[in-house]
Amino acid sequence: MSEKKGEISYGEPVGVVTAQSIGERSTQMVLRTFHSAGITSQVVSAGLPRLIEILDARKKPKHPTMTITFDKGVASDYESVKEIKKKIEEVRVGSLVGSFEENLKAGTMVLNMDREAMTEHSMTVKKIMDIISARFPDVELSNEGEKISVRYKKKKDIKSVRTAFVNIRGEIVSGVEGIEKAVVNSEGNAFYISTSGSNLSGVLEVDGVKEENVYTNDVFGIFNVLGVEAARTAILNEMMQVFAIEDTKINVKHAMLIADAMTHGGTVKSIGRHGLAGDKESVFARAAYEETIKHFVNAAFFSETDRLRGVAENIIIGRQISVGTGRVKLMIKNKDLEKVKPAD
Amino acid sequence: MAKDTNTCAVFLDGKHIADVKDGTAFAEEIRKNRRKGLISGEVNVAYIKKLGEVHINADKGRVRKPYVVVENGKSKLDQELMERISKKEIDFNYLVRRGVIEYLDVEEEENILAAMYESEITPKTTHMEVHPAIMFGLTVNSGVFPEFNSVGKHPLAWQLMKQAQGLPSMNFQNRFSARSYLLHYPQRPLIDSETYRAANLSMHANGQNFIVAVSTYLGYNMSDAVVVNKAALERGLGRSTFFKTYSDEERRYPGGQQDRFVVPTPTVEGYEGEQAYTKLGDDGIVEEEMEVNEGDVIIGKISPPRFLEEQTAFGAGIDRSRDNSTKLKAGESGVVDNVMVTETSGATKIVKVVVRSNMVPELGDKVGSRHAQKGVIGAIVPQEDMPFTKDGIVPDLLLSPMGLPNRMTFGHILEMLGAKAAVVKGEIQDGTPFARRGNALIEEYGNILEKAGFDRNGNDYLYDGKTGKKFAASIFMGPVYYYRLYQMTKLKLQVRSRGPVQILTRQPTEGKPRSGGIRLEEMARDALVGHGASLVLKDRMLEQSDKDNVWICRECGDMGYFDHIKNMPVCQMCGPGSKLESVEISYAFKVLLDELKSMHMLTKIRLKND
Repeated sequence: MSEKKGEISYGEPVGVVTAQSIGERSTQMVLRTFHSAGITSQVVSAGLPRLIEILDARKKPKHPTMTITFDKGVASDYESVKEIKKKIEEVRVGSLVGSFEENLKAGTMVLNMDREAMTEHSMTVKKIMDIISARFPDVELSNEGEKISVRYKKKKDIKSVRTAFVNIRGEIVSGVEGIEKAVVNSEGNAFYISTSGSNLSGVLEVDGVKEENVYTNDVFGIFNVLGVEAARTAILNEMMQVFAIEDTKINVKHAMLIADAMTHGGTVKSIGRHGLAGDKESVFARAAYEETIKHFVNAAFFSETDRLRGVAENIIIGRQISVGTGRVKLMIKNKDLEKVKPAD
Repeated sequence: MAKDTNTCAVFLDGKHIADVKDGTAFAEEIRKNRRKGLISGEVNVAYIKKLGEVHINADKGRVRKPYVVVENGKSKLDQELMERISKKEIDFNYLVRRGVIEYLDVEEEENILAAMYESEITPKTTHMEVHPAIMFGLTVNSGVFPEFNSVGKHPLAWQLMKQAQGLPSMNFQNRFSARSYLLHYPQRPLIDSETYRAANLSMHANGQNFIVAVSTYLGYNMSDAVVVNKAALERGLGRSTFFKTYSDEERRYPGGQQDRFVVPTPTVEGYEGEQAYTKLGDDGIVEEEMEVNEGDVIIGKISPPRFLEEQTAFGAGIDRSRDNSTKLKAGESGVVDNVMVTETSGATKIVKVVVRSNMVPELGDKVGSRHAQKGVIGAIVPQEDMPFTKDGIVPDLLLSPMGLPNRMTFGHILEMLGAKAAVVKGEIQDGTPFARRGNALIEEYGNILEKAGFDRNGNDYLYDGKTGKKFAASIFMGPVYYYRLYQMTKLKLQVRSRGPVQILTRQPTEGKPRSGGIRLEEMARDALVGHGASLVLKDRMLEQSDKDNVWICRECGDMGYFDHIKNMPVCQMCGPGSKLESVEISYAFKVLLDELKSMHMLTKIRLKND
């Protein structure tokens, strides 16, 4: 019985109902947005901006984050979680340098390494030198205790020396690229890592991290690594999350419909002019939405046919729309009609 | 900068002009001379201690406020001056000229120590407030007890005052205002303020004293609605007249032609039949005191033809003029009040016709008090069904109690109490802002009411008009000065079943003056789509809008037309013998296809085989 109750009727305009359901909730969000107080390093974009971000299928979210949980045995052990955190968090040469002097004309730079920062990230001068020399074969390296001297073998112009030195200081010595910060948090006695910045493929390669325990809010990252099905689920989850933060909810079927619509073509498509709405079959429906002239001119140019199957185009020409009560039709051929005799 | 040195910079209107040693003494010197009349009273000077600067301001656009000057702990406005004022020997400007009262701007106000009342003056005091109510302007001060209302209510209160119908001018019979409203029986309020009396506003009273009971009435006064006594309306409560002026001009056209005010003859183009012009006099203008209704011609006018060829083809003798008369707009009616014929500076004749209509308060008309308590009439109840007191007093208006607590318009309640005391005592009471304290007022009014045998809190026991039973609770009742606001149902009511359409799209017109329909807008359309109500949607978008039948050629898919001479549809592309079908579409869509065609985009309509 309850299953029957949840069933929708044939011809029900589910898309319109979905749009209205989400639209109603999001007008509420504009009026009253929650601001979470807390750690400023861990900004999570929420509310309407995040919803727009998801629906527009932005390539990079404004605040990408990852959450890495662990299996029972590891999760309760703070030290091992912290060890993994160190492997994930991106460390650049610059962050281990206390101070530096550079002489661009001579092509030399002296890096005074910060011992405390080095020990915290378990780095040695030797390791850093190896990384730099592997990436930059043009430079000569020598060290004197904590001091690393960098010198160009060949003479170069000031501009390229400068960019090279900036690149050296920006070189990653450990961690995963894109994970700007990682923090160990706990829930109960289970520890987990949350990050700002996201790099799914990079994190999955780290030892001690299991695939099923990694979560990111970067839909495109998920799409690139795990494929379109995973991206669909991510859109679904992220949308529900937006409403959950606002302490409201929409029916999951609405979110599912949107996730399906966005991913049914095999890629993640945005909702709007450049995505779903721009891909509509009908010329009139597209022209009625945005960029009217462009669509008419192209339709004339390529001799497009409008089969008048959607809602918008039928309203324009004044036909009954094929939705709801207009979905069903009783049909009989003219010649069959002749056979029918009125009952006397 | 000047702080470090011992000099003090002097700025005149923001420009550095000099340095002085002692800024305070310098400013004081200017003030002394200003009070003597040696320097203009428009000049203000301020010594700014924090910056060590003297600012002299004499430019325009500064907000200034009058203060009484206090010198040596004594107000300069002494007993002698007060007596001379009451004898009307001297006026306010005399005091300003004599340096008794001076106007200060915001900067100079920083240098003073002002006392509110004379009793509060100390040796250090330099100024005294003229009156505490001076913090309000003329509009708020002309109301009563504004100090008991929420600050946010004051702008709303004078907003209502602007909209009140009253007695705007004494020569209303000779005026030709585009629109004006006249309250038939304006009353002066039972409570007024000093400002109200000083400005002589009762000469242009804009309201009436309604007997108000704070009570519900079967839900007809919920959500800011009010219930009104029908008998009170029939006695003339809130009754008003609405004047509207129609005007027209005999325009001159190039070629020596001009309009003429006449009764149009049947030869005129667009003649509407003899019936339409019966109300016009011989001069083509309606007679005074003639009853007119919507669509009636009130100024008959003929204009020369729009296009010149018509003129030349028949010669000048034949009259091919068109009817260009002024008619009463849809939904309007009344009696012609006044007619004026005059000339413009360009020596063309102009006619103005004033139509007056009687506006009896009806459902949906707006009323409001002086405390931003506005509402619409939700029910007009016969007097016998209204609640009444043991003395037989029946309220004119029932106000819902739910409108009072969260709006915090305590002034409204206090006005009811005070006005009730005014009625009982037979004296108009004073409600000047800050004149007396609230509990003193309640005490005073309570005593007056108690002496006359009323409850001291202004409550009365009412009896239900329908059953005659006494209500269990006592009900707060008293007179309130109410405005009848100019938002009236009669001027706004608009309905349409059939009517004019736009020329281009053949869709119904929009807006009241064109007797248009109400648009089914985008989100309402989405709601219909969401319900799957496809036939309702089609009805709105097609049947009730711009339905049209076009002939579509089965072969080429282009639009054809119906040839009424041959009595058959024709396709211009395929020639005779082609098969066409009549198809029902929106006319706006046909226009779209035509416009595309005009841009070399041919749309072909392929019809389904049946």
